[in-house]
Amino acid sequence: MTKPRVAIFDFACCEGCQLQIVNLEEEILNLIELVDVVEWREAMSEQSHEYDIAIIEGSITRDEDVKRLEVIRSRAKVLIALGSCATSGGVNRMKNSFDLNEVRTCVYGRDGAMPHLNTRLTQACHEVVAVDYKIYGCPIDNAEFAQILRALLVGKKPFIPDYPVCVECKARETVCRYEYDEICMGPIVRAGCGAPCPSVGWRCFGCRGLVDNPNVQAAQEVMDKYRLTVDDLKQKMVLFNTK
Amino acid sequence: MSVSTVSKEQFRSFVAALIGSEQTVVGVQAKNDKFAFGPLRRAEDLRLDYDVTILSPRKYLLPPKETLLNFQVAGDSQTVCDCQPMVLIGVHPYDMAAISQMDELFSQGEYDTHYMNRRQAITIIACDVATASANVFASSMNTATVDSGFDILLTDIGGAYVVQADTDKGRALVKKMAGAKPAGADDMAKRKAVQEKNRTGLNKHVLECKPAFLPKLLEKTYDHPVWEDKARLCYSCGSCNQVCPTCYCFDVQDEVNWDLKTGSRCRVWDGCLLENFATVAGNHNFRKNRSARFRHRLYRKGKYVPSKIGGQIACVGCGRCVSACTAKIANPVDVYNTLLENTEIG
Repeated sequence: MTKPRVAIFDFACCEGCQLQIVNLEEEILNLIELVDVVEWREAMSEQSHEYDIAIIEGSITRDEDVKRLEVIRSRAKVLIALGSCATSGGVNRMKNSFDLNEVRTCVYGRDGAMPHLNTRLTQACHEVVAVDYKIYGCPIDNAEFAQILRALLVGKKPFIPDYPVCVECKARETVCRYEYDEICMGPIVRAGCGAPCPSVGWRCFGCRGLVDNPNVQAAQEVMDKYRLTVDDLKQKMVLFNTK
Repeated sequence: MSVSTVSKEQFRSFVAALIGSEQTVVGVQAKNDKFAFGPLRRAEDLRLDYDVTILSPRKYLLPPKETLLNFQVAGDSQTVCDCQPMVLIGVHPYDMAAISQMDELFSQGEYDTHYMNRRQAITIIACDVATASANVFASSMNTATVDSGFDILLTDIGGAYVVQADTDKGRALVKKMAGAKPAGADDMAKRKAVQEKNRTGLNKHVLECKPAFLPKLLEKTYDHPVWEDKARLCYSCGSCNQVCPTCYCFDVQDEVNWDLKTGSRCRVWDGCLLENFATVAGNHNFRKNRSARFRHRLYRKGKYVPSKIGGQIACVGCGRCVSACTAKIANPVDVYNTLLENTEIG
């Protein structure tokens, strides 16, 4: 059997999710036993136009990104969005709340008007092309990445949770942030991370995005019970644009 | 039944010696401002004065994730049974009642080797409640005290514990308690006083009927508005399921190894409040609405499970769900009392 050809591409992002793949360390040897990695800018020099599986990291923020992603999609049999930027637009999407000219000036000063700094409203991959699978997180969990990839290679539907982070907090006996009258995104945000943030006293930041069917009504009314407001919650949702 | 008395100091020496033995010793310890069961490293960490633990001892009988078998893709499989001898110290009566229910459920019908082997390897040292938790209602559920299931039952009577050994495993352990002497009438009277007090005093939420009445009540309330009223604010986060000592539902997941030829089948905790708990092949979800899932949990506790185990109500009044529910809708007593208010039972 010929090995599937895999290419990894990055768009607007910090490349931390690719780095998480590199961080598999010796397990990368297992990975390349199973697949031919034909393009992966962060880890190798070779490039290719022929691949079966395209893994996309980053959000789409420029016109040329749209064209590039469409070409990748036309070449790949399976397209996987990797990490928060690719699955939701990620931190980059914060700019969508502002006037884009202001954003350009704020970041680049007088040079902001130069044509190569053209920018557009940030989009997640699935808002531009069809996405077959999403691997969530900022950054992704590399063990989960490996598990999903192995499931796909063996022809099995990968398990990707669609329940809130509370499930994982409870399993590790983390006391709920709301018990301390603090906001947490956990009840409406997708799990799969293992809830590391609340376990050390942080709130859930919401990097995996909302569950498919969040209870918005509850999210609004429950705030009152903890002397919090809906605005408090909305402010916390800006970071990963889960508004 | 043999009943002895040991001083707290003597009991601590006994626990210290146990920790030094081969079996794993798990006990209740402080975890920040709460309590949790965990492996004991030092006898002085054991906190038998605790109110309630974050999770029940279920996590040792049915771990959040356990491997059931290893398999070859399209080939054979080998059962995995990972159970180490363990002593579990500090199980409260309501949690003991929950364990006894699970013992019955996992041994009837399809005998669950994984659960039962682990259960048999565990020695339980239960203890009467010394401090009531904020939401306990065990008195309402008749689980504030317990008279079976444990190997040893401890009761704090001030400077000493009354120690009741009910099984061979229990009696063997008591033999190792240096200084244990037969309990005198005075000690027995003190123990009785603690238990009598708990029988009525662990009742922060008062159920307005006898628990045995719940199955009958629920026969008439399937379409009651309370399900929708409460579930409107349900996050479907499953917190109530996760912390419940009698919730035992699990999902089965297969994972493949890097060779793509071998893998393992695991079971992981599931929860009937979670959106996709009842999603089956073809993506059909037969409990799609939050209210249907919310209702299902309280029917499980008050009607469905009792019908499998001779009428025992599968809510033991630990109050964990009341504390764990962020939306504050999970309290079973609230719901059952609302049903009682508006339902005429002939």
